[in-house]
Amino acid sequence: MLCVVLENMGLLCSRNKGYNQADDEENTQTADIERRIEQETKADKHIQKLLLLGAGDSGKSTIFKQIKLLFQTGFDEAELKNYIPVIHANVYQTIKVLHDGSKELAQSELEASKYLLSAENKDIGEKLSEIGGRLDYPHLTKDLVQDIEALWKDPAIQETILRGNELQVPDCAHYFMENLQRFSDINYVPSKEDVLFARIRTTGVVEIQFSPVGENKKSGEVYRLFDVGGQRNERRKWIHLFEGVTAVIFCAAISEYDQTLFEDERKNRMMETKELFEWVLKQPCFEKTSFMLFLNKFDIFEQKALKVPLNVCEWFKDYQPVSTGKQEIEHAYEFVKKKFEESYFQCTAPDRVDRVFKIYRTTALDQKLVKKTFKLVDETLRRRNLFEAGLL
Amino acid sequence: MAACASKGGCPSDYVALSIAVVSMILLLLKATLPYLIHKIPRPKGSSFWLVAIQVLASFNLLLSIIALNFLKFRKRHWWRSCYLWAVWIEGPLGFGLLLSCRITQIFQLYYIFVKRRLPPIRSYIFLSLILLPWIASAAFIHIRKPLNYRCHMGTVWIIPVMGLHALYVVALIAFTGAVRHVEFRFHELKDLWRGILVSAASIGIWVAAYVMNEVREDISWLEIASRFLLLVMTSVLVLAFFSFSISQPLISLMSLRKKDHKEYKTMSQALGIHDSGIHLQREPISIIDPDEPLDKLLLNRRFRQSFMEFADSCLAGESVHFYDEVQQFDKIPIQDPVRRIYMARHIIEKYIAAGAPREVNISHRIRQEILSSNDLSHADLFKNTLGELMQLMKLNLAKDYWSSMYFMKLKEEVNMRTVDHELEHASGWNFSPRLSSVHCSDDPFQHEHSPRNSACHSHNSKLQ
Repeated sequence: MLCVVLENMGLLCSRNKGYNQADDEENTQTADIERRIEQETKADKHIQKLLLLGAGDSGKSTIFKQIKLLFQTGFDEAELKNYIPVIHANVYQTIKVLHDGSKELAQSELEASKYLLSAENKDIGEKLSEIGGRLDYPHLTKDLVQDIEALWKDPAIQETILRGNELQVPDCAHYFMENLQRFSDINYVPSKEDVLFARIRTTGVVEIQFSPVGENKKSGEVYRLFDVGGQRNERRKWIHLFEGVTAVIFCAAISEYDQTLFEDERKNRMMETKELFEWVLKQPCFEKTSFMLFLNKFDIFEQKALKVPLNVCEWFKDYQPVSTGKQEIEHAYEFVKKKFEESYFQCTAPDRVDRVFKIYRTTALDQKLVKKTFKLVDETLRRRNLFEAGLL
Repeated sequence: MAACASKGGCPSDYVALSIAVVSMILLLLKATLPYLIHKIPRPKGSSFWLVAIQVLASFNLLLSIIALNFLKFRKRHWWRSCYLWAVWIEGPLGFGLLLSCRITQIFQLYYIFVKRRLPPIRSYIFLSLILLPWIASAAFIHIRKPLNYRCHMGTVWIIPVMGLHALYVVALIAFTGAVRHVEFRFHELKDLWRGILVSAASIGIWVAAYVMNEVREDISWLEIASRFLLLVMTSVLVLAFFSFSISQPLISLMSLRKKDHKEYKTMSQALGIHDSGIHLQREPISIIDPDEPLDKLLLNRRFRQSFMEFADSCLAGESVHFYDEVQQFDKIPIQDPVRRIYMARHIIEKYIAAGAPREVNISHRIRQEILSSNDLSHADLFKNTLGELMQLMKLNLAKDYWSSMYFMKLKEEVNMRTVDHELEHASGWNFSPRLSSVHCSDDPFQHEHSPRNSACHSHNSKLQ
C-alpha cells in the first residue's frame, strides 16, 4: 500500500528535478524523502495489519468509524459537516425505496389496498421519488421535511416498512426519519450518533492507523486497519490486502437472516455470509492469521428474533425456539454462535488449528461495547505475539 | 487400384489425411494464437465456450469422417463400433453441434441487433434445445441398426439424414437473412455471407461425395474419389466455418487484422467515436473548484483523468471507468442504433453483468432493469446506474480525493491563481484515509511548493 504512495512521491520528485534550478535544495529534499521512506519501512514492521471483512452492510465501516472516534482524534466540526450530504442522501434514498416499494406491493399483493398511498400523499410521493432518483439532491428544507414526514406517517408506508426485509431499506431508516427536523436546520452539525448511523456503501479500500491505548503510542501495539466494500464486486479487490495480515475481523450481521443481498435479491444474506466466511477461512494466506468474528447488529437481532423465527433462513432451519423474552434471545444468539463455530472448525484444516479464533457479540453503534471489544482484541493479539516470540 | 480401394492406403488417401491434419492444426492455431500473441485475456461466458465447442465439434466431425473411411469396424471393440463413429460422433457431436453453435451465435446477433434486447434464453439452453433433434435421430438410428457391414446406410436412410443436415444449413441461412439489413460495424455480415457461401458450396460437394460413398460400393474409382473428396471438403468446411467471425469485433480487430487497422485500445475508438476518451486531446485547462458537484467536474477531461487515477489507486476505479464509457455511449447519435448497441453490449459485458471483469457496485434492481431492457440503444439505458454510481463516488471518493496526491498533482499542472487559498482549503482536511493519499499536513512537498509553484508551472507549460 505504501508503495503506491512512495511511487507517487518518487514520480513527483523526479519530475520536479528536471526543471528546478535549485539543485541543492532538491538534493536535500530527496535525501529527506529517502530517510522518511527508511523510517516508515522500519516502523512498518511493528505495525499489525488488521482487515475488516464481511458481506455488504454487515457494519464494517461503522466499526471503522468507531475506531476513528475512539482511538484517533475523532471527527472535528468540518468532518462532521461532511456527513450532511450523506445523511440527506440517506433520507432521500430511504423515502424513495419505501415509496417505490409500496407501489410495487400495491400492484402485486393480494391485500393491495393497505399499500395504497392516500390521495394527498400520492403526489408528494411521486415528487420525492423523482428527487431520490436525481444526480444532485436539493438541500433538505423545512418544506421538504414536512413532505417527507407526511409520507413517512402514511399508513401505506408504515405497512411497507414492515416488509422492509424484502426491500433493501437501510437500517438507519427509523432513526433518520425520527430526527428529520434537526437535519433541516441551517446550522445543523451532525452528532456523533448521526455520523455512526449514516450509511455509505464503501467502495475500494480505506485504511487507518491507530493504537488502542490512546495517545501514548509507546505502550500499545500499533494497528493498521483496512476497511473494504462488502458487495460481491468489491470482494475481488480484497485479495490485494491478504498478505501479512495479523488478524481478520470478520463482521457478520446476525440480524440479516431474513433479508436478501443488495446486489442479488435471490440470495439470502446469511447464507452469503456463511459462504463468504468459509471462503475467507480457507484462504492460504490466512494460515496463521487470527480470526475475530464480530456477530454484529445485536440490537436489531434482539428485536427481530422474537418476531421473525430464525428458521426462515436455510442455515438455521433446524432451530427450535424454547421460551420467550430475553431467554429466547439468548438461546437464539447461542444457536447462531454455534453455527458459526461449527463452520469455523469445518473449514479449518488440522494444521491450522492453532490460529486464534474468538467470537464477540457486538453492536457497532454502541461505542462502549466497541471500545471494550477492541481492548479484548488488542489483548488477545498481544498475548498471541508474546506466544509467537516464545515468551509465553 | 481395386485393392487399395477396399484395404485403404491409396496415395489419395494419404493426401486427404494430411490435408485433414493440416486443417486441424490451422484451426487450433487460429483459435488460440490471437490470445497467445497479443495476450488478450480469455473471454468469459458464451463467447468463450461457444468457440471452444466449435473447435471440438470440428475435430469430431473430421475424426468421424476419417474413421468412417479408414477404420476397420469390428463388433468386439466398443470404440470401433460403427454406430459410435458414423452416428454419434458425426451427427450430434460433429456436424450437428457445429451448426448448432453457429445458429446460436446468429440467434444472439439477431436478438441483440434486430430485436435490440439481450437474448431471452441463455445460450447454452438454446444450444442444447436445437441439438435435441440430432440426439433423438442418432438414438433412433442406434436402435434400428440400419447400417451395413461397411458402415454405410441404404438409400432409404440417406434421404432423411441428409434432410436433417440440410435443414440446419437452411436455418443458418434464414437467420443470416434476418440480420442482413443491419449495418454491422465490423463487417460481420460480409464475413457471414462469405462463410456461408464457402460452406454451402463445400457442403454441396460434401453431400454429393457422402451420398456416393454411401450408395455406390461397387465402383472402386468412385469410392476412392468420393472418400478423398469427402475428407478434403470436410477439412475445408471446418476451416471456412471457423474463419468467419461472428460478434467478436474487438478481438478480431485487435488481433487478426492488425495490419489493416490501427490498434484500438477502447471500444469507443474501435467504434470510431470522435473526441473520445481522455487519451487523445488536451483541452484548455480550467480552474477546478472543489465545491462544484462531482458530475459537473467529471465533464472536465483533465479532472476526470486525475480522478480516475486516484480511484484506481484505491481499488475503486470501475465506477469512474464506467462513467467514462457511458459518456462515449451518449455521444453516439440516437439515429445510429447499431453503434449504440455495440457500445451498450460492451458496457454491459464489462461492467453490468454479474461477475463482469469490472463489475460496478449497483443494486440488483438496477442491474435487472438493464439486463431485461427492451431497447439496448435507448438513451436512458444507463441513467439509473450512473445516478447510483455518482452517489457512490460522491460519498466515497470525492472527499478523499481533495486531500490526495492526485489532486495536488492536478493542481500543480493547472496554473491556479488562487493556489494559496486552495492549499489552505485543502489542508483543512487533515486526514485522508485512502491508501494512495498522504497527509496534507505532513506532505513534504506542500510547504516548499506553494511559494515556488508559479516558477514550477512555467516549466510545466513549456514541457506541454
